[in-house]
Amino acid sequence: MQLTTTQQDALIELLNIGFGRAAASLSQLTGHRVLLDVPQVSLHAIDDVGEALERNVRGAVASVHQIFTGPVSGDALLILDEAGATILKELLTNEPALPLSIDASAREVITEVGNILLNACLGTFGNLLKVQVSFSVPHLSIEHVGRLLESLMVAQQGIRYALIVHAAFRLRDTQVTGYLMIVLSVASLDRLIRAIEDWETGQQPQ
Amino acid sequence: MSDSNATLLEAASARWFEELDDRGVLITDDRLIIRRWNPWLIAQTGRRPQDVVGRPLFECYPTLVGRGVDRYYREALAGEVRILSERFHRFLLPITRNFHGAGLTEMAQTARIEPLAHNGVVIGTITLIEDVTDRVVAERELRNQIAASERARRVAEEASRLKDDFLATLSHEIRTPLNAVLGWTRILRTQPSPRSQAHALEVIERNAISQMRLVEDLLDMARIISGKLRLNVESVALTEVAQAAVDVVAPAAAAKQIAIEVWFEDELPMVSGDAERLQQVVWNLLSNAVKFTEPGGSIRVQIKREKGILRLSVQDTGQGIAPEFVPYVFDRFRQADSSASRRHGGLGLGLALVRQIVELHGGSVGVESGGTKKGSTFSVTLPAVHALGAQNNSAPAAAEPVTLKGVSILIVDDESDARELLVAILRDYGADVRAVGSAVAAMDMLNDDGFHADVLVSDVGMPGTDGFALVREIRSQAAGKLRHLPAIAVTAYANPEDRVRALVAGYQNHIPKPVDANALAAAIVQLVPREGSRKPA
Repeated sequence: MQLTTTQQDALIELLNIGFGRAAASLSQLTGHRVLLDVPQVSLHAIDDVGEALERNVRGAVASVHQIFTGPVSGDALLILDEAGATILKELLTNEPALPLSIDASAREVITEVGNILLNACLGTFGNLLKVQVSFSVPHLSIEHVGRLLESLMVAQQGIRYALIVHAAFRLRDTQVTGYLMIVLSVASLDRLIRAIEDWETGQQPQ
Repeated sequence: MSDSNATLLEAASARWFEELDDRGVLITDDRLIIRRWNPWLIAQTGRRPQDVVGRPLFECYPTLVGRGVDRYYREALAGEVRILSERFHRFLLPITRNFHGAGLTEMAQTARIEPLAHNGVVIGTITLIEDVTDRVVAERELRNQIAASERARRVAEEASRLKDDFLATLSHEIRTPLNAVLGWTRILRTQPSPRSQAHALEVIERNAISQMRLVEDLLDMARIISGKLRLNVESVALTEVAQAAVDVVAPAAAAKQIAIEVWFEDELPMVSGDAERLQQVVWNLLSNAVKFTEPGGSIRVQIKREKGILRLSVQDTGQGIAPEFVPYVFDRFRQADSSASRRHGGLGLGLALVRQIVELHGGSVGVESGGTKKGSTFSVTLPAVHALGAQNNSAPAAAEPVTLKGVSILIVDDESDARELLVAILRDYGADVRAVGSAVAAMDMLNDDGFHADVLVSDVGMPGTDGFALVREIRSQAAGKLRHLPAIAVTAYANPEDRVRALVAGYQNHIPKPVDANALAAAIVQLVPREGSRKPA
C-alpha cells in the first residue's frame, strides 16, 4: 500500500493540527516558545519499517510507547535517539541532563513529551473519525532500535503498516528531530485513509 | 451518577486501594467529584475522607484550575491518559512541609491522571501521586557534584596552561641574558680593543646579574611553595629597608628619567620581620613600577601608620592595570601579556613573591588601578610591633672604603674558575692571596711554618675532604696558631640551614655564591685585627 501525494499532503496537514496542539502545551509548560513541524510522512509495511527507521536513527533509542484501542487501534511511539532525547530534555528544562539511564527526571520529562505528542495526534485522528480512542499508560524504554522493532512485531498478527512521521522540535534556535511511528492494522489504516480523504474533500472550496 | 455506576466505581477502584499504600490514589466520578481518598493521602495531606469525599475536586483544591490541571481531567474523561512529570509540574496536590531539611517545602510529585473505564465507557478518573522528593534531592546533589568537578577540572586545566606559559617564558628569559653573555664573550675573544672590552664586560655583568636575579626568584618561589622559606625575624625599621630598596632602583629609574619621590611619616613603629626579605618586597614593587612607567613619569613611595599597621605604598604613573587583570596581579606565573610579542620581560614571579613574603610576615598586599594608562598603586601592610621604638630616619653613616691591604688570605676551592675569581676579587682589595685546590693542600700549606694566613676562605662542597671537614680539623688542633684562624665559607649552598651548618662546623661567616665582592671583603675586614694592631707585613 502506498500513499498518494494528495493523501500525504492531507495527512501532513492533519498531523500539523495535532502537532500544533502539542507545541502549545509544551510552550505553556516550559515557558519557552516550542515549535513542532511535520517535514515528512511515509508509510511502510511493518516488515520494511526497520530499514526506513534505521535510515534516521541508529543504536540506542528512547521510545515512548502508548497502545490505543477503540474503533481504530494500534501502537503509537515517539522515538528519539539518545543524544536527541538528552538535548531535548536540556532545552525544555534549561538544566544539564545526566545520561538518561541515571536521570529519572529526564526520563520522566521525555515520557511526558511523548505523552503530549501522541495524545495530540491520536486525539486528532479520533476527532476526524468521530470515535473515542482509549490510551494505555505511556511507557518509556531505552533500547537498541532493532530490539524495539522486534518487540513490536512479536505477539501481533496480520498484515500491518507503520506511518513514520518526522517530528521536528524547534526551540531556542535548536532543532531536535524525533520520529513518530503509528502502527496500524490494514483495517484501521483503511478506515483512517478514507476519513482523511473525506476530510480533504470537505476542506476544498465548493 | 446512577447507583449501578457507583457500584461499578467501587468495584473498579477497590483494587487500587488494596495494592497501593506507598502513593496517593484519588478517584473521582465522571463529574470530577471525589469518591475515594486513600490512606496515603490522608497521612500526607492531613485531610480525612469525610473532609473531601463527595465534594468536587476543584472545590477542595481550587489552585488546580489556576494551574491548568483541570484540562487534564477533562481529557481523561475523554479517554486520554496523562503523565505529569515532576520537572514540569513540581507537584499535583500542594503538600507543604520541610522535607529532609533540604530546603524543599513542597513535596516533589509525579502524577498520572487516567480515565476509569467500564466496558469502554469512561465512568470516572484515577489519579496516582508519587512522592519523588528523595529522588529530586539526590539528582540535585549529583548535578551539583558534577558541576563542582567540572569547575575543578577547568581550574586544573587553567593551572596547567599557566605552567606551560610560564615554562615558555622561563626558557625565553633564561636564554636572553645567556645570549648576551655568550655573544659578547665571543666578541671579547675576537676584538680585544680596550673600548669594546669595557663595553662587553659591562653587558656581560649586567646580564649575569639579571640572570642571577631570575634564578634567585625561582629558588625563592620554590622555597615558598615547598614551605621551606625561613624568615630571620628581628625588629626592622621599614623606612630603612624601603630607603635601601629605593637606592638600588634609583639608577634604573634615573636612566628612564623617572622621578622617585619618598615620603615617610615621622616616628614610625618598627615591624617584625626579615629585613632582607622586606627589602626584596619593596625592591620588587619598585622595579615593577620602573618597568611599567614611561620615561618622564614618576613614582611615589610612602609609608604611614594606620591602626596597628604600617602601610607602604608604591604609586606610579605607568600603564596601569586592566580591570579584568586586577584580581590576578599577585598570582604566580600570571602576566597581563604573556604573548611572544610582549613588551616587558620577566617571569611574572616578582609580585607573586611580594604577596607570599608579605603574607609570611602576617601582612597583606593590595593594588588599585584606575585602569589601563591610569597608573597603579600597590600597597603592603605589615603589623606594627607594639613596643614603640622610633625608627631612625637618618641615613646610616657612610661606610669607610674597604681595604684588605696587608691581609694574608688562603683560598680553598676545587673549581679553578671560582678559585681564580676569588683570587682576583681579593687582590683587587689589596690582599695577599694564596689559593689551593683541595682541603688536603690547604692543611699542608697551613702547617707550613713559612706561611702565615690571617683568614681562610674556603669552598664547602669539594671532593674528598670537604669544607666542613677542613674547618673541623683546624678547630680540633689542640694548640697553636691554627685553632683560632678566622675562616669564611663561600658556597652555593645558600639556604639559612646551610649557613647554620657552616657556622656550627667552625666558620665565622658564610657568604653565598655568586659572591658579592663587597660583602666578602667586608666580612674579612670584620674578622682580621684592625690596621693599628696588625703586624707589619
